[in-house]
Amino acid sequence: MSATALHLDLPELPESAEVLRRQVRAFIAGERAAGHLPPPERIGLGFDVATTKRIAAKGWVGLTWPKQYGGGERTALERYVVTEELLAAALPVGAHWVADRQSGPVLLKFGSDAQKQFYLPKIAAGDCYFCIGMSEPESGSDLASLKARAEKIEGGWRINGRKIWTTNAHRVHYMIALVRTSTVEGSRHGGLSQLIVDLTTPGVSISPIISMAGEHDFNEVLMEDVFVPDDALIGQEGNGWNQVSAELAYERSGPERWLSSFRLVSELIDVLGPDARSSSLGELGRLLSHLLALRQLSMSVASMIQRGLSPNLEAAIVKDLGTKFEQEAVRVVRNIVSAEDLTVQGRNVRLKGLLAHAQVYSPAFTIRGGTNEILRGIIARGIGLR
Amino acid sequence: MSENRAFFRETVERILADTLDQNAIEATEHRTLPAALYAALAENGVTQMLVPEAAGGIGADLGDAVAILRAIGAAAAPGPLLETMLGNKLLAEAGLGPAEGLIALAFANDDATVLHDIPWGGLADHLLIVSPTGLRLTSTADWTATPGLDAADEPRDDMSNGPSGIAAPFDTSAALRSAAILRAGQILGAVEWTLARSIDYAGERKQFGREISKFQVIQQMLAELAGHMLASAVLTEAAAESVSQTMIAAARSRLGDAADAAIAIGHQVHGAMGFSREYALNHRTRRLMAWRDDYGSVLEWRRALAGAFTGCTREQFWPAVSDAGLKSA
Repeated sequence: MSATALHLDLPELPESAEVLRRQVRAFIAGERAAGHLPPPERIGLGFDVATTKRIAAKGWVGLTWPKQYGGGERTALERYVVTEELLAAALPVGAHWVADRQSGPVLLKFGSDAQKQFYLPKIAAGDCYFCIGMSEPESGSDLASLKARAEKIEGGWRINGRKIWTTNAHRVHYMIALVRTSTVEGSRHGGLSQLIVDLTTPGVSISPIISMAGEHDFNEVLMEDVFVPDDALIGQEGNGWNQVSAELAYERSGPERWLSSFRLVSELIDVLGPDARSSSLGELGRLLSHLLALRQLSMSVASMIQRGLSPNLEAAIVKDLGTKFEQEAVRVVRNIVSAEDLTVQGRNVRLKGLLAHAQVYSPAFTIRGGTNEILRGIIARGIGLR
Repeated sequence: MSENRAFFRETVERILADTLDQNAIEATEHRTLPAALYAALAENGVTQMLVPEAAGGIGADLGDAVAILRAIGAAAAPGPLLETMLGNKLLAEAGLGPAEGLIALAFANDDATVLHDIPWGGLADHLLIVSPTGLRLTSTADWTATPGLDAADEPRDDMSNGPSGIAAPFDTSAALRSAAILRAGQILGAVEWTLARSIDYAGERKQFGREISKFQVIQQMLAELAGHMLASAVLTEAAAESVSQTMIAAARSRLGDAADAAIAIGHQVHGAMGFSREYALNHRTRRLMAWRDDYGSVLEWRRALAGAFTGCTREQFWPAVSDAGLKSA
């Protein structure tokens, strides 16, 4: 591939997607009216089981999956519309987010029929949540160096190893662990497999990692002689790397990569009002042009997924640009707040608090889900440099 | 999207391959237009492509013209093609016939006695003035042209002592939007060329015993430029389809960053080689410097874009973002 192959077709949202958008907006208005959705004071997805159940009751979890597994058989573009509406309104969607975005799709693509029958309807009902077991203490960007190992024993696998940065491990039901199940001579990527681990299994211990923003989202998950049955294996033994690559495209391309700090920009726009200095407008306009570009890119990637393509290169670009935008948003809001004296003398407490939290949170944007340097390596390969 | 777009683009790329070489590009710096190129463009109807079929044109849309101007920008093809294409469209819309020959465009106030920095002013056949009251077609022979140059050493002339006259009423803000989105196509084309050439150059150039494309720092820089290109490409295409003020403002603002990155990264990857007049990179990067602030500067478009959203409440802001580009402003 070369630079000339770097092209995205303009997405066209079908009328059905716009109908769905109006339904989601009506739901959000209802959440606000019921007092479930106060204006957000922090960055982050938020974790609220009751909200997840209300969203699932509308049929918006597992939206694209087959009806036989509890899905809605809608398109990837329609799912895109639901996710951007929920994220932009800052609904606390964290409980079902990983299962809906990547665990379910991986099961759908690589899992056995029994696995699909067992897990997918529960996920779609908003009753079953997942976390991601990829990173290890010694395996961050170099994921293929991971050491967690599963040994084949009678009736299943015995897992030993340590996973880290597992978001929500302390409050979800399952982790899909990427582990070494065999050794392939001369291949770091061979011999890896994905196993579903019930987090209540004996031998699993979960300890919190408090982030620099002062929150407990991350955990370390220690697995000591953890037994999982044969049917915990997803797909083929040894095919884990390929499966994870597909999963990361789902993880990286979504609108959450540029909508986490959207609530901060919304709050600024609200507080700023119609009369801003021209210097503020110049900075804000630049930021908004990046926002609109990211939205076009995300919709284009969603339409590629809809056509059955695996947009790994484009997903890497969206995440690289999206996370840079998120950090830039914090900087721009801080500058405009200062130029316009928006938070002096006790004014606009919510904006001040959101900005303070976003600032402390912002280093994570360009690290989580693959550092920007790793993403740019993927982009470089895609444009023919490696 | 027009079904003919790929055909239009291939036609123009073939014409460019047949008629334009580096000498023809450099001749512009001596105020000589590439005659063979413009003869072929006129013969194939490109200069009249935005004129409705009923008025003798091809009836193509702005998206088609943007696709062509991307190829023109990538090739660094000199001359007032944008101005002639758009000028003929404006003349047809105002009920005036299309003009023979090349058109220079001036966006100016009615009381302006000197029209400053007019691209190709002294070299075109006609000077079409778009003022707040409307449209006025004049012959450049009736003006005094004082030669000036832009960053690419292409003509930007001051036009003075021109004829007075009455303007035909016209929606001049729509004309400015059209010019802005067409220029976006040229800017994007030059960014695309710079990215592609820099990738190729990194694979050719060896230092420390290996191609410089093997160095991670070069890979990271070009990956960054690829992101700028793709982000501005999707906005430019969306703006050309919607012709909405908001999307055009977004595209021109985003292209401002992409042009900055193309100039900085393209030259950094090329090292000293790219700084010579002889090497083709400067034909694109100097045009990026000249074009990025045309028909509304990057900063003006940024302020316009912000102005489309300020005054929203926190609940209104997202619907405004997600509706941008869905309808013409």
